[in-house]
Amino acid sequence: MANRIAVVVSQGQSQNPAKRGLEEDIIAALLMESGIDVTVIPHLYDLKADGTGMLALDGIKGNVIVLSWLYERAARWVLDRNGIRGAEGQTLIRMADDDEDEDEEEELDDGKPRVIDHRPVPKRRIYCVDLRVHNKAQPYVDEIKRIAEENQQKLVQLGDWIQGDPSPAAMQRFQQPTNDTALGGGSLPIVSASPSSAAAEVPANGTLADGQPAAGDPNPGKSDPGNGAAEGPTPARPVGDAFVADVVRIEEDGTRRWYPVIDFSRCTNCMECIDFCLFGVYGVDGAETILVEQPDNCRKGCPACSRVCPENAIIFPQHKTPAIAGSPVTVGGLKIDLSRLFGAPEDGKSAVEIAALERDEQLMIAGRETVGMSVGIRKRQSDQPAEPKDDLDDLIDALDDLDL
Amino acid sequence: MSEPLVFMMGEFEALFPTDRKYVTNHMWAIETDRAVAANGGVDAAPAADASITNGGATHRFGFTAYAVRLLQDVYFLEWTVEAGDRLQHRQEMGAIESKKAESALYAPTSGRLARFNDALLTDPSTINVDKYGDGWLFELETETDDLMSPEQYLEHLAAVWEVTQRTIKGQLNE
Repeated sequence: MANRIAVVVSQGQSQNPAKRGLEEDIIAALLMESGIDVTVIPHLYDLKADGTGMLALDGIKGNVIVLSWLYERAARWVLDRNGIRGAEGQTLIRMADDDEDEDEEEELDDGKPRVIDHRPVPKRRIYCVDLRVHNKAQPYVDEIKRIAEENQQKLVQLGDWIQGDPSPAAMQRFQQPTNDTALGGGSLPIVSASPSSAAAEVPANGTLADGQPAAGDPNPGKSDPGNGAAEGPTPARPVGDAFVADVVRIEEDGTRRWYPVIDFSRCTNCMECIDFCLFGVYGVDGAETILVEQPDNCRKGCPACSRVCPENAIIFPQHKTPAIAGSPVTVGGLKIDLSRLFGAPEDGKSAVEIAALERDEQLMIAGRETVGMSVGIRKRQSDQPAEPKDDLDDLIDALDDLDL
Repeated sequence: MSEPLVFMMGEFEALFPTDRKYVTNHMWAIETDRAVAANGGVDAAPAADASITNGGATHRFGFTAYAVRLLQDVYFLEWTVEAGDRLQHRQEMGAIESKKAESALYAPTSGRLARFNDALLTDPSTINVDKYGDGWLFELETETDDLMSPEQYLEHLAAVWEVTQRTIKGQLNE
Protein backbone atom coordinates (compact mmCIF):
# COMPACT_ATOMS: atom_id res chain seq x y z
CA MET A 1 0.00 0.00 0.00
CA ALA A 2 1.40 3.38 0.90
CA ASN A 3 1.63 4.33 -2.71
CA ARG A 4 2.10 8.02 -2.22
CA ILE A 5 0.79 10.48 -4.71
CA ALA A 6 2.10 13.93 -5.41
CA VAL A 7 -0.24 16.89 -5.63
CA VAL A 8 1.02 20.06 -7.24
CA VAL A 9 -0.89 23.27 -6.63
CA SER A 10 -0.01 25.85 -9.24
CA GLN A 11 -0.91 29.27 -7.92
CA GLY A 12 -2.80 31.74 -10.04
CA GLN A 13 -1.21 34.85 -11.41
CA SER A 14 -3.70 37.11 -9.76
CA GLN A 15 -3.69 37.99 -6.11
CA ASN A 16 -7.44 37.67 -6.05
CA PRO A 17 -8.16 36.65 -2.45
CA ALA A 18 -10.88 34.27 -3.57
CA LYS A 19 -8.41 32.37 -5.74
CA ARG A 20 -5.69 32.36 -3.13
CA GLY A 21 -8.27 31.28 -0.60
CA LEU A 22 -9.29 28.31 -2.72
CA GLU A 23 -5.68 27.24 -3.17
CA GLU A 24 -4.98 27.47 0.55
CA ASP A 25 -8.22 25.70 1.47
CA ILE A 26 -7.27 22.79 -0.75
CA ILE A 27 -3.74 22.67 0.66
CA ALA A 28 -5.04 22.83 4.20
CA ALA A 29 -7.49 20.01 3.56
CA LEU A 30 -4.82 17.86 1.97
CA LEU A 31 -2.70 18.20 5.08
CA MET A 32 -5.24 16.01 6.80
CA GLU A 33 -4.84 13.22 4.28
CA SER A 34 -2.23 10.55 4.44
CA GLY A 35 -0.19 9.42 1.49
CA ILE A 36 -0.21 12.78 -0.23
CA ASP A 37 2.75 15.04 -0.86
CA VAL A 38 1.88 18.61 -1.72
CA THR A 39 4.04 20.95 -3.72
CA VAL A 40 3.00 24.55 -4.21
CA ILE A 41 4.45 26.28 -7.23
CA PRO A 42 3.86 29.63 -8.90
CA HIS A 43 1.72 29.76 -12.01
CA LEU A 44 2.75 26.73 -14.05
CA TYR A 45 2.79 28.54 -17.37
CA ASP A 46 5.23 31.17 -16.14
CA LEU A 47 7.79 28.74 -14.72
CA LYS A 48 11.19 28.95 -16.33
CA ALA A 49 12.62 25.82 -17.84
CA ASP A 50 15.57 25.78 -15.47
CA GLY A 51 13.87 27.29 -12.42
CA THR A 52 13.24 25.61 -9.08
CA GLY A 53 9.59 25.06 -9.93
CA MET A 54 10.30 22.96 -13.00
CA LEU A 55 13.11 21.23 -11.16
CA ALA A 56 10.70 20.18 -8.45
CA LEU A 57 8.13 19.01 -10.99
CA ASP A 58 10.82 17.10 -12.80
CA GLY A 59 11.71 15.36 -9.57
CA ILE A 60 8.26 13.87 -9.22
CA LYS A 61 8.51 10.47 -10.83
CA GLY A 62 5.27 8.82 -9.86
CA ASN A 63 1.67 9.71 -10.55
CA VAL A 64 0.95 13.33 -10.02
CA ILE A 65 -2.12 15.53 -9.76
CA VAL A 66 -1.60 19.06 -11.00
CA LEU A 67 -4.12 21.70 -10.02
CA SER A 68 -3.78 24.94 -11.92
CA TRP A 69 -5.75 27.89 -13.22
CA LEU A 70 -5.43 26.51 -16.70
CA TYR A 71 -7.51 24.26 -18.87
CA GLU A 72 -6.48 20.63 -18.37
CA ARG A 73 -5.20 20.36 -21.90
CA ALA A 74 -3.19 23.53 -21.53
CA ALA A 75 -1.64 22.35 -18.27
CA ARG A 76 -0.89 18.94 -19.69
CA TRP A 77 0.93 20.28 -22.72
CA VAL A 78 2.76 22.99 -20.80
CA LEU A 79 4.14 20.17 -18.67
CA ASP A 80 4.92 18.18 -21.77
CA ARG A 81 6.81 21.10 -23.29
CA ASN A 82 8.98 21.02 -20.20
CA GLY A 83 9.69 17.33 -20.44
CA ILE A 84 7.25 16.35 -17.72
CA ARG A 85 5.38 13.56 -19.39
CA GLY A 86 3.05 10.78 -18.57
CA ALA A 87 -0.17 9.19 -19.63
CA GLU A 88 -3.21 11.39 -19.31
CA GLY A 89 -4.98 10.72 -16.04
CA GLN A 90 -8.74 11.00 -16.24
CA THR A 91 -10.23 13.38 -13.75
CA LEU A 92 -13.89 13.70 -12.97
CA ILE A 93 -13.63 17.44 -12.44
CA ARG A 94 -14.56 19.04 -15.68
CA MET A 95 -16.09 22.19 -16.97
CA ALA A 96 -19.83 21.89 -17.25
CA ASP A 97 -20.30 20.26 -20.57
CA ASP A 98 -23.98 19.84 -20.88
CA ASP A 99 -23.99 17.29 -23.58
CA GLU A 100 -22.79 13.80 -23.08
CA ASP A 101 -23.92 12.59 -26.45
CA GLU A 102 -22.04 9.98 -28.35
CA ASP A 103 -21.59 12.37 -31.19
CA GLU A 104 -19.08 14.21 -29.04
CA GLU A 105 -16.81 11.26 -29.47
CA GLU A 106 -16.38 11.79 -33.16
CA GLU A 107 -13.46 14.10 -32.45
CA LEU A 108 -10.17 13.29 -34.08
CA ASP A 109 -11.22 9.87 -35.18
CA ASP A 110 -10.32 10.56 -38.74
CA GLY A 111 -7.37 8.21 -38.89
CA LYS A 112 -4.80 10.94 -39.39
CA PRO A 113 -1.50 10.07 -37.77
CA ARG A 114 -0.85 12.24 -34.74
CA VAL A 115 2.54 13.01 -33.30
CA ILE A 116 1.56 11.37 -30.02
CA ASP A 117 1.12 8.01 -31.79
CA HIS A 118 4.83 7.41 -32.07
CA ARG A 119 5.99 9.09 -28.94
CA PRO A 120 7.00 7.05 -25.93
CA VAL A 121 5.17 8.06 -22.78
CA PRO A 122 6.53 7.27 -19.33
CA LYS A 123 4.55 4.76 -17.34
CA ARG A 124 2.89 7.12 -14.97
CA ARG A 125 -0.19 9.22 -15.01
CA ILE A 126 -0.52 12.96 -14.86
CA TYR A 127 -3.90 14.27 -13.77
CA CYS A 128 -4.50 17.88 -14.66
CA VAL A 129 -7.30 19.65 -12.85
CA ASP A 130 -8.65 23.09 -13.68
CA LEU A 131 -9.15 25.21 -10.55
CA ARG A 132 -11.75 27.32 -12.29
CA VAL A 133 -14.34 24.57 -12.35
CA HIS A 134 -15.45 24.90 -8.72
CA ASN A 135 -15.01 27.72 -6.26
CA LYS A 136 -15.03 25.45 -3.23
CA ALA A 137 -12.16 23.28 -2.07
CA GLN A 138 -14.20 20.19 -1.23
CA PRO A 139 -14.80 18.88 -4.76
CA TYR A 140 -11.07 19.10 -5.43
CA VAL A 141 -10.16 17.37 -2.20
CA ASP A 142 -12.69 14.63 -2.93
CA GLU A 143 -11.30 14.17 -6.42
CA ILE A 144 -7.72 14.01 -5.16
CA LYS A 145 -8.77 11.38 -2.64
CA ARG A 146 -10.52 9.45 -5.37
CA ILE A 147 -7.44 9.52 -7.55
CA ALA A 148 -5.22 8.58 -4.63
CA GLU A 149 -7.50 5.64 -3.98
CA GLU A 150 -7.44 4.68 -7.64
CA ASN A 151 -3.69 4.58 -7.31
CA GLN A 152 -3.91 2.28 -4.33
CA GLN A 153 -6.30 -0.07 -6.04
CA LYS A 154 -3.99 -0.44 -8.98
CA LEU A 155 -1.33 -1.62 -6.63
CA VAL A 156 -3.63 -3.98 -4.78
CA GLN A 157 -4.75 -5.57 -7.99
CA LEU A 158 -1.17 -6.24 -8.90
CA GLY A 159 -0.58 -8.08 -5.65
CA ASP A 160 -1.99 -11.56 -6.00
CA TRP A 161 -2.01 -12.18 -2.29
CA ILE A 162 -5.58 -11.09 -1.97
CA GLN A 163 -7.86 -13.98 -2.72
CA GLY A 164 -11.39 -13.48 -3.83
CA ASP A 165 -13.28 -10.24 -3.95
CA PRO A 166 -13.17 -8.11 -0.88
CA SER A 167 -16.27 -6.09 -0.23
CA PRO A 168 -15.95 -2.40 -1.00
CA ALA A 169 -16.17 -1.66 2.68
CA ALA A 170 -13.37 -4.06 3.48
CA MET A 171 -11.33 -2.61 0.68
CA GLN A 172 -11.93 0.83 2.04
CA ARG A 173 -10.90 -0.25 5.53
CA PHE A 174 -7.82 -1.88 4.11
CA GLN A 175 -6.78 1.09 2.06
CA GLN A 176 -7.54 3.72 4.59
CA PRO A 177 -7.33 2.21 8.05
CA THR A 178 -8.97 4.55 10.44
CA ASN A 179 -7.91 2.73 13.57
CA ASP A 180 -4.73 4.49 14.42
CA THR A 181 -3.41 1.65 16.48
CA ALA A 182 -2.95 -0.45 13.38
CA LEU A 183 -0.41 0.29 10.69
CA GLY A 184 -0.41 3.80 11.98
CA GLY A 185 2.98 4.96 10.92
CA GLY A 186 2.91 3.08 7.68
CA SER A 187 1.51 5.83 5.63
CA LEU A 188 1.98 8.75 7.93
CA PRO A 189 4.54 11.20 6.79
CA ILE A 190 5.11 12.51 10.29
CA VAL A 191 8.15 10.30 10.53
CA SER A 192 9.63 12.22 7.66
CA ALA A 193 12.87 13.94 8.41
CA SER A 194 12.02 16.73 6.03
CA PRO A 195 11.84 20.04 7.85
CA SER A 196 8.97 21.10 5.67
CA SER A 197 6.57 18.70 7.29
CA ALA A 198 6.88 20.59 10.50
CA ALA A 199 6.31 23.76 8.59
CA ALA A 200 3.02 22.57 7.25
CA GLU A 201 1.15 25.44 8.73
CA VAL A 202 3.86 27.97 8.13
CA PRO A 203 3.37 29.33 4.69
CA ALA A 204 6.08 30.45 2.33
CA ASN A 205 8.86 28.23 3.45
CA GLY A 206 10.83 29.59 0.57
CA THR A 207 12.68 27.31 -1.75
CA LEU A 208 13.63 23.80 -0.95
CA ALA A 209 15.82 23.18 2.02
CA ASP A 210 18.68 21.67 0.10
CA GLY A 211 17.68 22.34 -3.47
CA GLN A 212 16.47 18.79 -3.77
CA PRO A 213 13.04 18.18 -5.18
CA ALA A 214 11.82 16.68 -1.97
CA ALA A 215 8.20 16.41 -2.99
CA GLY A 216 9.20 14.36 -5.94
CA ASP A 217 10.98 11.82 -3.87
CA PRO A 218 8.47 9.56 -2.24
CA ASN A 219 11.12 8.48 0.20
CA PRO A 220 10.61 4.75 0.01
CA GLY A 221 11.99 4.13 3.46
CA LYS A 222 9.17 5.78 5.28
CA SER A 223 6.49 4.28 3.11
CA ASP A 224 7.61 0.73 3.65
CA PRO A 225 4.47 -1.13 4.59
CA GLY A 226 4.73 -2.79 7.89
CA ASN A 227 7.26 -0.60 9.55
CA GLY A 228 4.43 1.04 11.40
CA ALA A 229 3.37 -2.30 12.73
CA ALA A 230 6.93 -3.14 13.59
CA GLU A 231 7.11 -0.06 15.74
CA GLY A 232 4.09 -1.23 17.59
CA PRO A 233 0.95 0.72 18.20
CA THR A 234 1.56 4.40 18.27
CA PRO A 235 -0.31 6.42 20.80
CA ALA A 236 -3.12 8.50 19.41
CA ARG A 237 -2.04 11.95 18.47
CA PRO A 238 -4.10 15.00 17.71
CA VAL A 239 -5.27 14.65 14.16
CA GLY A 240 -4.00 18.01 12.99
CA ASP A 241 -0.59 17.03 14.18
CA ALA A 242 -0.43 13.41 13.14
CA PHE A 243 -1.83 13.52 9.67
CA VAL A 244 0.25 16.27 8.19
CA ALA A 245 1.46 15.81 4.67
CA ASP A 246 4.62 17.20 3.27
CA VAL A 247 4.10 20.63 1.83
CA VAL A 248 6.87 22.13 -0.21
CA ARG A 249 6.47 25.69 -1.31
CA ILE A 250 8.47 26.94 -4.20
CA GLU A 251 8.84 30.53 -5.19
CA GLU A 252 10.20 32.00 -8.35
CA ASP A 253 10.29 35.61 -9.38
CA GLY A 254 7.14 35.97 -11.35
CA THR A 255 7.78 37.27 -14.79
CA ARG A 256 4.83 36.70 -17.06
CA ARG A 257 5.58 34.56 -20.06
CA TRP A 258 3.77 34.12 -23.37
CA TYR A 259 4.40 31.19 -25.67
CA PRO A 260 2.52 28.43 -27.47
CA VAL A 261 2.39 24.81 -26.44
CA ILE A 262 1.56 22.02 -28.85
CA ASP A 263 -1.07 19.41 -28.17
CA PHE A 264 0.63 16.41 -29.72
CA SER A 265 -2.51 14.35 -29.48
CA ARG A 266 -3.83 16.64 -32.22
CA CYS A 267 -0.68 17.73 -34.04
CA THR A 268 -0.06 15.99 -37.34
CA ASN A 269 3.37 17.54 -37.84
CA CYS A 270 2.12 19.40 -40.89
CA MET A 271 4.56 22.28 -40.34
CA GLU A 272 2.08 25.05 -41.11
CA CYS A 273 3.02 26.80 -37.86
CA ILE A 274 6.74 26.81 -38.58
CA ASP A 275 6.04 28.20 -42.04
CA PHE A 276 3.76 30.87 -40.69
CA CYS A 277 5.62 32.17 -37.66
CA LEU A 278 8.24 34.73 -38.66
CA PHE A 279 9.71 35.06 -35.19
CA GLY A 280 11.52 31.75 -34.99
CA VAL A 281 9.45 30.21 -32.25
CA TYR A 282 9.15 26.81 -33.88
CA GLY A 283 11.80 24.29 -34.75
CA VAL A 284 12.11 20.57 -35.30
CA ASP A 285 13.75 17.96 -33.13
CA GLY A 286 16.13 15.24 -34.24
CA ALA A 287 13.24 13.17 -35.53
CA GLU A 288 11.89 16.04 -37.61
CA THR A 289 9.00 16.55 -35.23
CA ILE A 290 7.74 20.07 -34.68
CA LEU A 291 8.51 21.65 -31.36
CA VAL A 292 8.29 25.02 -29.68
CA GLU A 293 12.00 25.61 -29.83
CA GLN A 294 12.31 29.24 -28.74
CA PRO A 295 9.23 29.97 -26.68
CA ASP A 296 10.53 33.34 -25.56
CA ASN A 297 10.80 34.55 -29.14
CA CYS A 298 7.02 34.55 -29.19
CA ARG A 299 5.31 37.93 -29.43
CA LYS A 300 3.26 38.72 -26.35
CA GLY A 301 -0.45 38.47 -26.99
CA CYS A 302 -0.11 37.10 -30.50
CA PRO A 303 -1.98 33.81 -31.03
CA ALA A 304 -1.71 33.88 -34.82
CA CYS A 305 -0.07 30.49 -35.32
CA SER A 306 -2.83 28.78 -33.38
CA ARG A 307 -5.31 30.19 -35.86
CA VAL A 308 -3.51 28.77 -38.86
CA CYS A 309 -3.10 25.35 -37.27
CA PRO A 310 -5.49 23.07 -39.18
CA GLU A 311 -5.87 20.76 -36.19
CA ASN A 312 -6.32 23.36 -33.46
CA ALA A 313 -3.30 21.78 -31.81
CA ILE A 314 -1.59 24.98 -30.71
CA ILE A 315 -2.56 26.27 -27.30
CA PHE A 316 -1.93 29.71 -25.85
CA PRO A 317 -3.05 29.01 -22.32
CA GLN A 318 -3.54 32.68 -21.45
CA HIS A 319 -5.55 33.69 -24.49
CA LYS A 320 -9.05 34.96 -23.88
CA THR A 321 -10.63 32.71 -26.50
CA PRO A 322 -11.32 29.35 -24.86
CA ALA A 323 -10.58 27.35 -28.00
CA ILE A 324 -7.12 28.92 -28.24
CA ALA A 325 -6.49 28.61 -24.51
CA GLY A 326 -7.05 24.85 -24.64
CA SER A 327 -10.68 24.63 -23.63
CA PRO A 328 -11.49 21.07 -22.57
CA VAL A 329 -14.67 20.99 -24.58
CA THR A 330 -14.10 18.76 -27.52
CA VAL A 331 -14.33 19.87 -31.07
CA GLY A 332 -17.90 18.72 -31.36
CA GLY A 333 -18.91 20.38 -28.13
CA LEU A 334 -17.74 23.89 -28.79
CA LYS A 335 -20.51 26.19 -29.78
CA ILE A 336 -20.16 27.27 -33.32
CA ASP A 337 -21.23 30.64 -34.59
CA LEU A 338 -23.85 30.17 -37.27
CA SER A 339 -24.34 33.90 -37.78
CA ARG A 340 -22.95 33.86 -41.26
CA LEU A 341 -25.27 31.06 -42.28
CA PHE A 342 -28.20 32.93 -40.79
CA GLY A 343 -27.44 36.05 -42.76
CA ALA A 344 -24.75 38.04 -40.97
CA PRO A 345 -23.05 40.56 -43.25
CA GLU A 346 -19.94 39.12 -44.86
CA ASP A 347 -17.49 41.45 -43.17
CA GLY A 348 -16.08 38.72 -41.01
CA LYS A 349 -12.55 37.61 -41.58
CA SER A 350 -11.37 34.06 -41.74
CA ALA A 351 -9.05 32.72 -39.07
CA VAL A 352 -6.13 32.88 -41.47
CA GLU A 353 -6.87 36.50 -42.35
CA ILE A 354 -7.03 37.43 -38.69
CA ALA A 355 -3.78 35.56 -38.12
CA ALA A 356 -2.06 37.47 -40.92
CA LEU A 357 -3.24 40.77 -39.45
CA GLU A 358 -2.03 39.79 -35.98
CA ARG A 359 1.31 38.78 -37.42
CA ASP A 360 1.63 42.07 -39.33
CA GLU A 361 0.89 43.95 -36.14
CA GLN A 362 3.73 42.15 -34.38
CA LEU A 363 6.07 42.65 -37.31
CA MET A 364 5.34 46.36 -37.17
CA ILE A 365 5.94 46.53 -33.43
CA ALA A 366 9.22 44.74 -34.02
CA GLY A 367 10.14 47.30 -36.68
CA ARG A 368 9.94 44.86 -39.54
CA GLU A 369 8.13 44.89 -42.86
CA THR A 370 4.62 43.55 -42.89
CA VAL A 371 3.92 40.61 -45.14
CA GLY A 372 0.13 40.26 -45.11
CA MET A 373 -1.01 36.97 -46.56
CA SER A 374 2.06 36.55 -48.78
CA VAL A 375 4.29 34.50 -46.51
CA GLY A 376 3.91 31.11 -44.92
CA ILE A 377 0.26 30.55 -45.65
CA ARG A 378 -0.28 27.31 -47.39
CA LYS A 379 -2.47 27.42 -50.42
CA ARG A 380 -5.52 25.49 -49.46
CA GLN A 381 -7.18 24.17 -52.53
CA SER A 382 -9.81 22.09 -50.91
CA ASP A 383 -12.40 24.62 -51.98
CA GLN A 384 -11.22 24.64 -55.59
CA PRO A 385 -12.84 22.41 -58.15
CA ALA A 386 -10.60 19.62 -59.31
CA GLU A 387 -9.04 20.29 -62.67
CA PRO A 388 -7.33 18.01 -65.13
CA LYS A 389 -3.67 17.45 -64.34
CA ASP A 390 -1.31 19.82 -66.05
CA ASP A 391 2.37 19.32 -66.91
CA LEU A 392 3.50 20.34 -63.47
CA ASP A 393 1.19 17.83 -61.82
CA ASP A 394 2.53 15.12 -64.10
CA LEU A 395 6.08 16.07 -63.17
CA ILE A 396 5.30 15.92 -59.46
CA ASP A 397 3.58 12.56 -59.90
CA ALA A 398 6.59 11.25 -61.76
CA LEU A 399 8.87 12.42 -58.97
CA ASP A 400 6.64 10.78 -56.40
CA ASP A 401 6.83 7.54 -58.31
CA LEU A 402 10.60 7.49 -58.40
CA ASP A 403 11.88 4.61 -56.36
CA LEU A 404 14.59 6.28 -54.35
CA MET B 1 -49.66 18.17 -49.75
CA SER B 2 -47.00 16.63 -51.94
CA GLU B 3 -44.02 14.82 -50.54
CA PRO B 4 -41.45 17.01 -48.83
CA LEU B 5 -38.11 17.52 -50.54
CA VAL B 6 -35.08 15.88 -49.01
CA PHE B 7 -31.56 17.15 -48.58
CA MET B 8 -28.92 14.83 -47.18
CA MET B 9 -26.73 16.50 -44.55
CA GLY B 10 -24.22 13.73 -44.35
CA GLU B 11 -26.26 10.88 -42.93
CA PHE B 12 -29.05 13.15 -41.84
CA GLU B 13 -32.19 13.47 -43.92
CA ALA B 14 -33.42 17.06 -43.81
CA LEU B 15 -37.02 17.40 -45.01
CA PHE B 16 -38.55 20.49 -46.59
CA PRO B 17 -42.32 20.70 -47.04
CA THR B 18 -43.39 21.96 -50.44
CA ASP B 19 -46.36 23.98 -49.17
CA ARG B 20 -44.19 26.98 -48.38
CA LYS B 21 -41.34 29.15 -49.53
CA TYR B 22 -37.81 29.52 -48.27
CA VAL B 23 -35.13 32.12 -47.60
CA THR B 24 -31.36 31.75 -47.98
CA ASN B 25 -30.81 32.25 -44.27
CA HIS B 26 -32.50 28.91 -43.65
CA MET B 27 -35.97 30.04 -42.73
CA TRP B 28 -39.23 28.93 -44.26
CA ALA B 29 -42.04 31.34 -44.98
CA ILE B 30 -45.71 30.66 -45.42
CA GLU B 31 -48.55 33.13 -45.80
CA THR B 32 -50.18 33.54 -42.43
CA ASP B 33 -53.67 32.32 -43.27
CA ARG B 34 -52.22 29.26 -44.94
CA ALA B 35 -49.93 28.76 -41.96
CA VAL B 36 -52.91 28.58 -39.69
CA ALA B 37 -54.62 26.16 -42.01
CA ALA B 38 -51.47 24.07 -42.26
CA ASN B 39 -51.33 24.06 -38.50
CA GLY B 40 -54.73 22.48 -38.13
CA GLY B 41 -56.74 25.72 -38.02
CA VAL B 42 -55.75 26.72 -34.50
CA ASP B 43 -54.14 30.01 -33.62
CA ALA B 44 -56.42 32.26 -35.64
CA ALA B 45 -55.31 35.51 -34.03
CA PRO B 46 -54.87 37.92 -36.90
CA ALA B 47 -51.68 39.90 -37.23
CA ALA B 48 -52.13 43.26 -35.61
CA ASP B 49 -53.09 46.24 -37.73
CA ALA B 50 -52.80 44.99 -41.26
CA SER B 51 -53.54 48.45 -42.63
CA ILE B 52 -49.88 49.50 -42.67
CA THR B 53 -48.82 46.92 -45.20
CA ASN B 54 -47.83 47.93 -48.68
CA GLY B 55 -49.99 45.34 -50.19
CA GLY B 56 -47.45 42.60 -49.48
CA ALA B 57 -48.61 39.48 -47.70
CA THR B 58 -47.97 38.64 -44.08
CA HIS B 59 -45.71 35.62 -43.85
CA ARG B 60 -44.98 33.41 -40.94
CA PHE B 61 -41.30 32.47 -40.65
CA GLY B 62 -39.54 29.61 -38.94
CA PHE B 63 -36.31 27.64 -39.07
CA THR B 64 -35.87 24.98 -41.71
CA ALA B 65 -34.80 21.44 -40.93
CA TYR B 66 -31.35 22.43 -42.14
CA ALA B 67 -31.06 25.20 -39.55
CA VAL B 68 -32.51 23.10 -36.76
CA ARG B 69 -30.16 20.24 -37.53
CA LEU B 70 -27.21 22.60 -37.23
CA LEU B 71 -28.53 24.14 -34.05
CA GLN B 72 -29.78 21.01 -32.35
CA ASP B 73 -31.48 21.61 -28.99
CA VAL B 74 -32.40 25.27 -28.73
CA TYR B 75 -31.77 26.64 -25.25
CA PHE B 76 -32.40 30.31 -25.62
CA LEU B 77 -34.03 32.72 -28.00
CA GLU B 78 -34.28 36.47 -27.74
CA TRP B 79 -35.43 39.28 -29.95
CA THR B 80 -33.83 42.70 -30.10
CA VAL B 81 -36.57 44.31 -32.17
CA GLU B 82 -40.23 44.73 -31.30
CA ALA B 83 -43.48 43.93 -32.97
CA GLY B 84 -44.36 46.85 -35.23
CA ASP B 85 -40.75 47.63 -36.13
CA ARG B 86 -39.86 47.97 -39.76
CA LEU B 87 -36.92 45.71 -40.59
CA GLN B 88 -34.44 45.91 -43.39
CA HIS B 89 -33.38 42.71 -45.08
CA ARG B 90 -30.53 41.23 -43.03
CA GLN B 91 -31.02 43.64 -40.16
CA GLU B 92 -29.99 42.03 -36.89
CA MET B 93 -33.13 41.17 -35.00
CA GLY B 94 -32.20 38.79 -32.22
CA ALA B 95 -30.05 35.93 -31.05
CA ILE B 96 -30.28 32.23 -30.48
CA GLU B 97 -28.30 29.80 -28.40
CA SER B 98 -28.49 26.08 -28.77
CA LYS B 99 -26.62 23.00 -27.68
CA LYS B 100 -24.31 23.24 -30.65
CA ALA B 101 -24.24 26.82 -31.72
CA GLU B 102 -24.95 30.41 -31.09
CA SER B 103 -25.84 33.02 -33.59
CA ALA B 104 -27.32 36.40 -34.12
CA LEU B 105 -30.52 36.33 -36.11
CA TYR B 106 -31.19 38.51 -39.12
CA ALA B 107 -34.31 39.63 -40.90
CA PRO B 108 -35.02 37.22 -43.76
CA THR B 109 -36.43 40.03 -45.88
CA SER B 110 -37.60 43.62 -45.46
CA GLY B 111 -40.92 44.36 -43.89
CA ARG B 112 -42.84 45.27 -40.78
CA LEU B 113 -42.68 42.80 -37.96
CA ALA B 114 -46.22 41.81 -37.09
CA ARG B 115 -45.64 39.60 -34.06
CA PHE B 116 -43.39 37.07 -32.45
CA ASN B 117 -44.23 33.59 -31.34
CA ASP B 118 -44.07 34.52 -27.67
CA ALA B 119 -44.46 30.95 -26.52
CA LEU B 120 -40.92 30.26 -27.70
CA LEU B 121 -39.44 32.76 -25.28
CA THR B 122 -40.33 30.55 -22.35
CA ASP B 123 -39.91 27.25 -24.15
CA PRO B 124 -37.75 27.49 -27.26
CA SER B 125 -37.59 23.70 -27.53
CA THR B 126 -40.79 23.84 -29.56
CA ILE B 127 -38.45 24.81 -32.40
CA ASN B 128 -37.01 21.32 -32.16
CA VAL B 129 -40.30 19.59 -31.61
CA ASP B 130 -42.34 21.20 -34.37
CA LYS B 131 -40.16 23.39 -36.54
CA TYR B 132 -42.64 23.66 -39.39
CA GLY B 133 -45.65 24.23 -37.15
CA ASP B 134 -45.83 25.50 -33.56
CA GLY B 135 -42.13 26.27 -33.62
CA TRP B 136 -42.62 29.25 -35.93
CA LEU B 137 -40.58 32.33 -35.03
CA PHE B 138 -42.39 35.46 -36.13
CA GLU B 139 -44.73 36.97 -38.67
CA LEU B 140 -43.55 39.62 -41.03
CA GLU B 141 -45.48 41.80 -43.45
CA THR B 142 -43.21 41.28 -46.37
CA GLU B 143 -42.65 44.08 -48.85
CA THR B 144 -41.14 42.21 -51.75
CA ASP B 145 -41.64 38.77 -53.08
CA ASP B 146 -38.06 37.57 -53.01
CA LEU B 147 -38.78 34.23 -51.41
CA MET B 148 -37.48 31.03 -52.92
CA SER B 149 -39.33 27.96 -54.01
CA PRO B 150 -38.44 24.71 -52.21
CA GLU B 151 -36.52 23.60 -55.29
CA GLN B 152 -34.52 26.81 -55.38
CA TYR B 153 -33.77 26.47 -51.68
CA LEU B 154 -32.49 22.96 -52.20
CA GLU B 155 -30.19 24.20 -54.94
CA HIS B 156 -28.99 26.85 -52.52
CA LEU B 157 -28.35 24.17 -49.89
CA ALA B 158 -26.36 22.07 -52.32
CA ALA B 159 -24.26 25.14 -53.11
CA VAL B 160 -23.60 26.11 -49.48
CA TRP B 161 -23.26 22.67 -47.91
CA GLU B 162 -19.50 22.58 -48.41
CA VAL B 163 -19.12 26.06 -46.93
CA THR B 164 -21.37 25.09 -44.06
CA GLN B 165 -19.24 22.11 -43.20
CA ARG B 166 -16.15 24.27 -43.28
CA THR B 167 -17.86 26.83 -41.07
CA ILE B 168 -18.60 24.16 -38.54
CA LYS B 169 -15.17 22.59 -38.60
CA GLY B 170 -12.95 25.50 -39.44
CA GLN B 171 -13.94 28.35 -37.22
CA LEU B 172 -13.00 26.96 -33.86
CA ASN B 173 -9.83 29.00 -33.71
CA GLU B 174 -11.19 32.30 -34.90
